[in-house]
Amino acid sequence: MTVEVMIGRGRDAIDMIVDEGSFKENMVGDTPIPSDIGPGAVVGEAAIEGRDVVVIANDAQAVNERFPVVYFGVIGMEEAYKMAKTVYTMLHQDADKPIGEKRPLVLIVDTPGNGPGKQEEIFGMNKATGAYQLALAEARKAGHAIVALVIGRAISGAFLCHGLQADQILALSPEFSTMIHVMPITSISRITKIDIERLEELSVSNPVFAAGPQFFYRLGGVDELVENIEDMRPAIARHIAEVEDRKKAGLPTGPMYHGELGEERGGRMLRRKAIEAMEAEYAKVADQYV
Amino acid sequence: MALQELTYTFEAANPQPFPVEWMHSGVVGSGDMEVMFTKEDLGGKVNFKIVTPVTGFDEVWSRVLQKFVNESGISDVNVEINDNNATPVVVSMRLRQALQDAKKEA
Amino acid sequence: MADWKELEAKSFYEATARERAIGMVDEGTWTELAGPKDRLTSPHLPVLGEAVEFDDGVVTGVGLVGKHPVFVASQEGKFIGGAVGEVHGAKIVGAFLLANQVYDKIMAECPDEIEERRPAVVISFETGGVRLHESNAGLLAHAEFMDQIQGSKGKFPVFAVIGSKVGAFGGMGFVAAATDVIIMNTYGRLGLTGPEVIEQEMGKAEFDSADKALVYRTTGARHKYIMRDANYLVEDTIGAFHDCIGEVMDLGYAAIEKMRRIGNEELVDEQLALAELSVELHPKDSRDVWAYYGNENPEQLTEITTAEFLATAKRRP
Repeated sequence: MTVEVMIGRGRDAIDMIVDEGSFKENMVGDTPIPSDIGPGAVVGEAAIEGRDVVVIANDAQAVNERFPVVYFGVIGMEEAYKMAKTVYTMLHQDADKPIGEKRPLVLIVDTPGNGPGKQEEIFGMNKATGAYQLALAEARKAGHAIVALVIGRAISGAFLCHGLQADQILALSPEFSTMIHVMPITSISRITKIDIERLEELSVSNPVFAAGPQFFYRLGGVDELVENIEDMRPAIARHIAEVEDRKKAGLPTGPMYHGELGEERGGRMLRRKAIEAMEAEYAKVADQYV
Repeated sequence: MALQELTYTFEAANPQPFPVEWMHSGVVGSGDMEVMFTKEDLGGKVNFKIVTPVTGFDEVWSRVLQKFVNESGISDVNVEINDNNATPVVVSMRLRQALQDAKKEA
Repeated sequence: MADWKELEAKSFYEATARERAIGMVDEGTWTELAGPKDRLTSPHLPVLGEAVEFDDGVVTGVGLVGKHPVFVASQEGKFIGGAVGEVHGAKIVGAFLLANQVYDKIMAECPDEIEERRPAVVISFETGGVRLHESNAGLLAHAEFMDQIQGSKGKFPVFAVIGSKVGAFGGMGFVAAATDVIIMNTYGRLGLTGPEVIEQEMGKAEFDSADKALVYRTTGARHKYIMRDANYLVEDTIGAFHDCIGEVMDLGYAAIEKMRRIGNEELVDEQLALAELSVELHPKDSRDVWAYYGNENPEQLTEITTAEFLATAKRRP
C-alpha cells in the first residue's frame, strides 16, 4: 500500500472528512466570518454523516501577502483571530442548546508555528494565539465536542494554539510523516550534547523529549493514532460521540484529562504526585487562609 | 552523560548540634548549587549526598566537605546538595551561608 | 531570609524566585507548598546529565493579601532558564486547583464575603517556555495552564507579574497574555518569539537580535504599557508588585475583569483591528507605534525614569 502523505493538504483533508459538497467556507450558521483575512486559516461549516459541524483547518499552501512570515501553515495574528471569531460565533449561536445539540468543532491540524515576525512581536502575537486557545477552552467547557486531527505538522506553540485545547486529539500515525514535537531530536542532541543514537535509545523507555505522535500518545497528549486515511472520517465521528457521552456523564475531557491519561499510559508519572503534595500540604494550613 | 551521585560521611572533632530541624538554601544556577540540611541522630556523624553532572572530582568534594565539617563542627545532620558545576570556593561559601542562616533562624 | 522591610525594598529584577514568591503576599503569611523538602526533582533530567533542583525551578505556595488567599507560582530563571517541565508544570496547575478549591469553599460557606475573600493566583514569570529536556511534557503542561486560566474566569483573578532577567517568552508568553492583570517593572519583557528567531526569519537588516535596545523596545515593559498589553508599570521593588496586587484586589472583581486584553469576542475584534493597524502602519520599530499614539518624542521614552515615563507616556486609547 502506498502511503498518502497529508502534509500541506488541509483543504483536501476537509473534503475527505466531511459529507461531499457540504463545506461552506467562511460561514458559521448564517453569520459570515471575514473572508479577506488570514488565508492560512480555513474556517466554515460542514456536515459529517448528516450532522452539522464547524471546521477549522490550516491551509499550508496559502500565503498571507500582508505578513511576510505567514505562509506554509504558519498561524499569524489574522489567522488566530479569525479562528477565535469562528469559535465565538459558534458558541453564541448554540448558547441555549444542550450538550449533544451544540455543534461539534473539528480542528484539522497542519501548522509549523505561530507568526515569528517583528510586526507580530510589536503588536503581540502572544495575544492572538492566546485568544484562540481561550475561545476553544470556553467552547469545550460550554459543552461543544472539540476533536482535533493532526494530519501533518503540529509543532510546539502552534500545536498548543491549534489542537491541544481540544477535548480529544487524534493524529495520523508516523507512517504518514506526521510531525508532533517541540524540537527535532537533532536539535536536542546539539543542545544536550548527547548522540542522536543514545537519545533514540533513551526515548524507548521515556517518551518525554522525542519527536513523533507515538510519544505524545504515551504521554496522553494524543488519544488515538489513526492508521489509514479512510479512517479519518469515522474516527472523528466516533470521537465526537465519545466526547459527548463523556460530557453528559460529567467525565473529564481536554488538557486535564490528558494529564491523567499520561499517567495511565506510563508517560507522566510525577504530575499527579506534585499536585497531590500541594493539596495535602495546603489542607494542613487551610484554616489560616479561609 | 547521566548525573552522578556521590556520598560521604564525616565526623567533627568537636561536634555541635545543627541549630534547626531543616534548612534549605541556594539555587541550582549554572556554577551554583542548592543545599538541604536535615537533622537526624547519626551518632555524631554527617552524611553528604551530592548529585552533580560533573565527574572526576570525588577527591575535591571530599576535601571541601571534610573541611566544612571540621571548621563548623556540625553533627547529626544529612546534607543533600544539587550541584551544577559549582567551584570548590562556591561550595564552601554556600555551605557556610546556609549554616549561618540556620543559626539566625534558630 | 532577610527581614521583611529589606525583602520588600529589594529589587524584583535581582530577586530569586523564592524571595519574589514570599514578597508577593503579606508579611508572615507565606506557606510554601511542594517545596524543596518534598524533593520533587525532575525524573527526566538525570539521564540527560542535567542538574536537578528540589523545587524543579518553581516556588509554589500560599499567602494572604488582605483577606484574600493568594496562590503563588514563581519561576526561577537561573535553573534551566525557568523552563517548564513535568513537575514544574504540575506545580503551577496545582496552584490553580487550590484556588478553585478555596473559591468553592467560600461560595459554599460564606458567599456574601466573596468580594473581600476572593482568592487569586499570581504567577511570577521568568521563563522561555517549554523545557527542552522534557519538552513534550512541558508542552502538555502549557495546555493545562490555558485550560485553568479559562476555568478561572468568573471565579478569581489571575495575575502575571513580570520583571526578572529572562522575561516571559515562548508558550509562557501567551499564558501571560491570557491572565487578567499584567504587572511589569521597567525591566520586564513579554513576547512569543525570541529575537534570534525573528532575525533568522526576517534577516538582520529587518531585525538585529544583537541590538539590545531594539529588542527591549519590541518586547519591553514600556512598549507593553503603551500598547495596554501590560496593565501596570511599577517601580523595581518586590514591595511595589505586592502593593499593586493589593490595590487591584481592592478594586473588586468587576473592575478586574475589564483589565483583560483577550478572552471574549469584543476583545478579539479590538485586537484584530490592531493587527490591521500593523499592516497599515508597517512599523519599522515600536517607536513608530508610540508616535502614532501621540508620543512626540518616542526616542526619549526609554531614556527617562519610570515615574517620568508614567507621567508623560501616551497609551493606546
